[in-house]
Amino acid sequence: MVGGGVIQQILRRKLHSQSLATPFRSWFSSKTAHVDAGSSGVRAFALLGAGVTGLLSFSTVASADEAEHGLACPDYPWPHDGILSSYDHASIRRGHQVYQQVCASCHSMSLISYRDLVGVAYTEEEAKAMAAEIEVVDGPNDEGEMFTRPGKLSDRLPQPYANESAARFANGGAYPPDLSLITKARHNGQNYVFALLTGYRDPPAGISIREGLHYNPYFPGGAIAMPKMLNDEAVEYEDGVPATEAQMGKDVVSFLSWAAEPEMEERKLMGFKWIFLLSLALLQAAYYRRLKWSVLKSRKLVLDVVN
Amino acid sequence: MADVEVVDPKKCLEESCKPKCVKPLLEYQACVKRIQDDESGHKHCTGQYFDYWQCVDKCVGPKLFAELK
Repeated sequence: MVGGGVIQQILRRKLHSQSLATPFRSWFSSKTAHVDAGSSGVRAFALLGAGVTGLLSFSTVASADEAEHGLACPDYPWPHDGILSSYDHASIRRGHQVYQQVCASCHSMSLISYRDLVGVAYTEEEAKAMAAEIEVVDGPNDEGEMFTRPGKLSDRLPQPYANESAARFANGGAYPPDLSLITKARHNGQNYVFALLTGYRDPPAGISIREGLHYNPYFPGGAIAMPKMLNDEAVEYEDGVPATEAQMGKDVVSFLSWAAEPEMEERKLMGFKWIFLLSLALLQAAYYRRLKWSVLKSRKLVLDVVN
Repeated sequence: MADVEVVDPKKCLEESCKPKCVKPLLEYQACVKRIQDDESGHKHCTGQYFDYWQCVDKCVGPKLFAELK
């Protein structure tokens, strides 16, 4: 909307400068405050001033959208960011623990199976034991009935609610989204999720949030249904790392990044290998092309005209 | 292990970054003062609040992960 206003201003200015019969160049020169002698230059400058104030008033209106877009999240230096950097698997393991103990009561991760965790965060035995703790509906059996059994590696992570309606009903109308792809499903996902989880603050003066919602500047609109879930020492890590809010945030986002992009490590290795090999192939192809074309490129054409 | 009190490094860093962001903080406090007596309920200081926290975030961002495992 602001962009449309800017374009209108520019068009109006261009039209005016043309109707004043000043050449296009003087529009530029009046912009650099080099006023041409005569009233036409002053008029163009005055119009430019009007345009600028128009633009400025647009910007003050646009800042009312600030809360709508949410506070821009900073970029954190994730350990898996580099071109050849892998995930911190200890962090993924801790992050899964945070997810299980803090988040899983409301958020499903229905695209991840227990077997996906093997070799990434847990050994096969550990993953099997974790899976066995849950009850899964299976069937029908030979008598045609559905039955429950302990979980296996092939089962998906359990869902807290049967369906979206149940989830909304239990959370005041808001749906806690599935987290399997959340870091890819939000702009600047990893940084956004970390900033969101650790960014619960008191609202600015003049902003009041209704009962049932909570203020979070990073959330578009500022009012989020989820309360602050990460509190110091909410979880006790197996490896003894102190479970501060920021630590839990980092670990859970590492886990969510892995969940959304489990292929990342293989992708980076493949990318590095193939970009290197294809660069060599490019050099070879360039040499070969120039070799073949050299016949034509080194031709001599003789114009033999007798007048 | 249990008796060591954990201090959240992010809160700590945000406190230490406050002096770097004094200007937007003062702007925010000035805004709070300006709208104190507002009865209409439409006035708010989100802009200044965002400017301050953006400054703090930029300061904390590169440093935070060095404090974490």
